[in-house]
Amino acid sequence: MEIKRIIESGLIETYVMGIATEEEVQKVLFLKKEYPEFKDALTNLELDMEVLAQGMAITPPPGTLEKIETEINEIQRRSQVIQKIARPNSKPDNGDDAREEKYIEVEAESNQMRVNKAWKWIFIAVFILGKIFLAAAIYFYLENRQAREQINELKLELKQK
Amino acid sequence: MQKAVLNVPTADPKDIRWFYDKYAAMLLGYISGIVQDHRKSEDYLISILTGFTAEFNATEKSQLNIWLELRQYAQSKLALINEKGHSLTPVQVNSNGNLDLLDDLQKQIFCAVYYHGKSISQLAATLGSEADEIRNQLKQSIDKMRRGRGN
Repeated sequence: MEIKRIIESGLIETYVMGIATEEEVQKVLFLKKEYPEFKDALTNLELDMEVLAQGMAITPPPGTLEKIETEINEIQRRSQVIQKIARPNSKPDNGDDAREEKYIEVEAESNQMRVNKAWKWIFIAVFILGKIFLAAAIYFYLENRQAREQINELKLELKQK
Repeated sequence: MQKAVLNVPTADPKDIRWFYDKYAAMLLGYISGIVQDHRKSEDYLISILTGFTAEFNATEKSQLNIWLELRQYAQSKLALINEKGHSLTPVQVNSNGNLDLLDDLQKQIFCAVYYHGKSISQLAATLGSEADEIRNQLKQSIDKMRRGRGN
């Protein structure tokens, strides 16, 4: 039978070992739903892999559970602090919005400002124009001062004559 | 400005104890197969079991059983070590005789897949074989170990 051939093809092993492609995963899920024989083979292999892992088990040293409990308690404590800061007046169990169950809203203010990249060229142009106007102003100031000095010299010459 | 922060649901202490009693030894055996260092394995056991227990309630019901889900979770967490240190040399692990049932090629393929998550195509390319041959060897290695346990 076709389903037996599929069971023997190695597809179930690939799936249970966690290396099946997305296409293979979809195929396995479909066959599991449609064929009880396939579902049984899959369940048996999953259980056997668990038994195999039990055979390779190493007992953790004493105190490991306490360390894990301490870390879990720390995570819980931090989570509760965040919830209290985020929602000081709301009830923790209302949960009518699925998004709120997964996320909590936190007020945060940034001191940064977003500016369109086009402004970069405008700022550069303004800077260059500023330099040009400054150079022109200095040039005309000096020209003007030199002209005044020449006028004064001419006036002095005329008076002497 | 509003910012969203992931709100990790927490597990009950009884869940932690249940997880620990059922899976800690299996997980430590599995991690030791990847890390090959007893002290580091114990540290990873704590962080992986803590992470999985904390996130377990949040995940949607998986199609896999819990052990396989936990094994894949551990494998993904240890993926960096996996990438850096892994060659296709079979790992030194207390397999309770299971791996001794396999020939060298089967042991190589099984360990690469089981401990390091190597795909069929990756192994086919590395070993210079057809994908179907690798798949067949993987199936045979699992079948041998299942028969060895009387299944």
